[in-house]
Amino acid sequence: MDAISDSAFREEIYQEGSNDDPSLLTVILDLSPSGWYNIRDRITINELVKAVLVFLNAHLSLNNSNQVAFIASSLNGSKFLYPNPERDYDKTQISSNVEDVDSNTDSEPSFVNKGMYRQFRLVDEAVAEELNKYIHDISSNIDLKKQNATLSGALSMALCYTNRMLTLDQSITTTTASAINSTTNATMADSNNSSTTTTSTSITSMKSRILIISASDEDDVKYIPIMNSIFAAQKMKLSIDIVKLGHQDSSYLQQASDATNGIYLHIIDPRGIIQFLTTAFFIEPSIRQYIILPTNSNVNYRASCFITGKSVDLGYVCSVCLCIMSIIPETKMCPACRSEFDPRILAQLTQTPEVISKKKRKLDAKGIENGNGNGTGNTNGNGNFVTDRSVST
Amino acid sequence: MDDSDEEYVSQQPVGETESPASRLSSEDPEESDGVSRRTRSNAKRTQVSELKGANGYAWEDEYQRSWDIMKDNDNGQSLEMIIQSMIENRKKKIMKNPSTPFQRGIIRTLIVVIDGSLAMLEKDLRPTRFSMTLSLLQEFIVEFFDQNPISQLGIILMRNGIAQLVSEVSGSPQYHLDRLRQLKAKQHNKFEPKGEPSLQNSLEMARSLLKYNFGNSSNNTKNSKEVLIIFGSIFTSDPGDIHKTIDSLVKDDIRVKVIGLSAQVAICQELVNRTNNLARNIVSKNYGIIMNESHFKELLMDCVIPLPISEKEREQEAKSSKGVPLIRMGFPSKIQPTLTSSLNNSTFTIDFPQLSASDPTHGSENSKQINDIDGINIITNNTIGYQCPRCKSKVTNLPTVCPVCGLMLILSTHLARSYHHLIPLSPFKEVPVNSEYSSLHCFGCLLKFPSGISSETNKDSLDVLTSSRYRCRKCKNDFCIDCDVFVHEILHNCPGCENT
Repeated sequence: MDAISDSAFREEIYQEGSNDDPSLLTVILDLSPSGWYNIRDRITINELVKAVLVFLNAHLSLNNSNQVAFIASSLNGSKFLYPNPERDYDKTQISSNVEDVDSNTDSEPSFVNKGMYRQFRLVDEAVAEELNKYIHDISSNIDLKKQNATLSGALSMALCYTNRMLTLDQSITTTTASAINSTTNATMADSNNSSTTTTSTSITSMKSRILIISASDEDDVKYIPIMNSIFAAQKMKLSIDIVKLGHQDSSYLQQASDATNGIYLHIIDPRGIIQFLTTAFFIEPSIRQYIILPTNSNVNYRASCFITGKSVDLGYVCSVCLCIMSIIPETKMCPACRSEFDPRILAQLTQTPEVISKKKRKLDAKGIENGNGNGTGNTNGNGNFVTDRSVST
Repeated sequence: MDDSDEEYVSQQPVGETESPASRLSSEDPEESDGVSRRTRSNAKRTQVSELKGANGYAWEDEYQRSWDIMKDNDNGQSLEMIIQSMIENRKKKIMKNPSTPFQRGIIRTLIVVIDGSLAMLEKDLRPTRFSMTLSLLQEFIVEFFDQNPISQLGIILMRNGIAQLVSEVSGSPQYHLDRLRQLKAKQHNKFEPKGEPSLQNSLEMARSLLKYNFGNSSNNTKNSKEVLIIFGSIFTSDPGDIHKTIDSLVKDDIRVKVIGLSAQVAICQELVNRTNNLARNIVSKNYGIIMNESHFKELLMDCVIPLPISEKEREQEAKSSKGVPLIRMGFPSKIQPTLTSSLNNSTFTIDFPQLSASDPTHGSENSKQINDIDGINIITNNTIGYQCPRCKSKVTNLPTVCPVCGLMLILSTHLARSYHHLIPLSPFKEVPVNSEYSSLHCFGCLLKFPSGISSETNKDSLDVLTSSRYRCRKCKNDFCIDCDVFVHEILHNCPGCENT
């Protein structure tokens, strides 16, 4: 069973081996305010974004055809910051073509250098500007009622985008830098006269991975959507890498990276984050099998209770629909499929150790009769343990 | 034997075409074309294969070239039409997933019975029926455990008049795949197809395997027990009365499916119908005869989807009001094979030989996997330990029953894999063709949508064209067809709904 859940694509030996295949890197930045507030004395979003941009540029510079995408996720929903279909990349292209070095001194973020390589500049400018807008949006209409970050939504979007990039846009394989831009624009425009590009399902040798940067310490995510996303990623053979800032480990993110052969790192001191990004997270999934990664293999495979939403490690499971409960519901009915539970089995499960204590006394009495020793062995077990023994007999 | 032949004669076509397919369609005279009734269960799927024109038997089919199917439509819209139909077909394929949740027996125990008789050496499937079956079965096993994570499977080979156990009932796909691989490799000696098949022997063996149920023989859990027979011969040679075996199968509530590789056999029909509570002569979807390779695969993959709980069982449930059992399960955490113990702020890494209760060889040389990549041997200790949350004993394989405290241990990911059966995503609705739309790009993948179509274009082309937008009913976001398919078939949650 591990083969399915854990090493699903460890078996996959990447025979092609050529590292020239383009690779798509999707970064999901979780911007939940409370998480970032908690670590405000360690790192700011600004510092982090700088580091991430360096990381993106590094990724782009590895291969001409490499792609990046950047998604910001917060309480108000997730948004693609790059690529952004509303943004016209041609405009910047033209302006930079005409006047290479200086000229347009618009409202550009300070850390984007004018003389930068165009491909870097496009990404960096887009991300920085859109991020500013996005943060403005968040701070202007903050909704206190919504508490859980929409990480599952961001993941779903990332997977959709990756899916399109992996299977549908075969034009990506053209390699010159200018060609990429024109083709990405072209596919957007081309899709007007539709489907010839989209229905072709030739699989390019594009590789992809997702990097999630999360500072949120809350563990009550939407369990099922996250799990669905993990399985989808598993099927698409893409790794989910996790940068976990903040104070606690997140067991669901751990599961995500573990199930997809990704890297999970809980970075306690994030000031040197650029170091982490450019070392551990820089390694392509195809060569990860050769490298001992600093990932944490102590994964807590806890599930989430359907009733209380808390994570459980010892729970009850309805045998019809497999929904997980941490407590036996008072209605004696499954909350998901409405089937009633067998009262006899319920009685067995709710059996209290008191029933056993009678038996124990009997045993003790026997023990005393026979001599000694037996009694002590029995009293060692806790209530549950003995209960189960009695059930099985 | 005799019985099956009579049955066969009595089902002669009622004055229909000579196509062999119509033999089965005798109850339905109006369906006279080559589309066999056998595919009726897959009516929706045949829509897809209609495009390929591969509906009859493979050997009856004319050779089709993909470019011949393209009919030109004079107005130069042929390509669009075809694309359109492809899109439609894809949509229909999605629609086959029912979006109303209904109770399914998710914990299944399935015994696959493979025919290993001489008939399997026929070469109508390439290279032979037997090796084709084995290779398809490998795919099936992977898919089966993907969709039914906590189910179990066993494989039996019918060969030389007896039943041979290929692999025990187990929940580990790797084990079954290994056994199948052995079967394939050792074809020259022990497992080469030989002799006659015996349905009765293998059914009895399957029955005895199915009695043993998740480690406890008490038959109180509500898991469905199924047998899938891949039957290449057209006869069975049994030591006793097979009807008695069928009776006991019915009594044990074991459901049998048969995939026939050559022709319909009456005893299989009876076996299937009786164990599935159907009338004697009904052509049920549980008994499929393959027409060609892809149909074989289709039939096999149909068995992956968990069965809905049968009416009889539901009635029983209602009558006895016994209810469903609740299982206590533990979700173990994964632990590192090496432990780090810290002493006075300095860390020592101690490589404990952690013994696992369920796998005593764990930690020894045998468990070390050697990956030979490019001539370099990389020795990885690939064993993973899981710790029982109750008694803290260690096991290496999941799912299993904790050997120390008897708790059922399972990865939460195994359970979660089947949740999309429980909470299916409702299908997206196509946005009607309009001259203006509110959305410019797909919400999921940012693909730019075509702009609106002016109303001046004539009616004909309007039928052909689509808005290419598929809207989620809940969150009102628009998606492209590719995302629609992806979301419904792989992802199982709507990106739009997750973002609200």
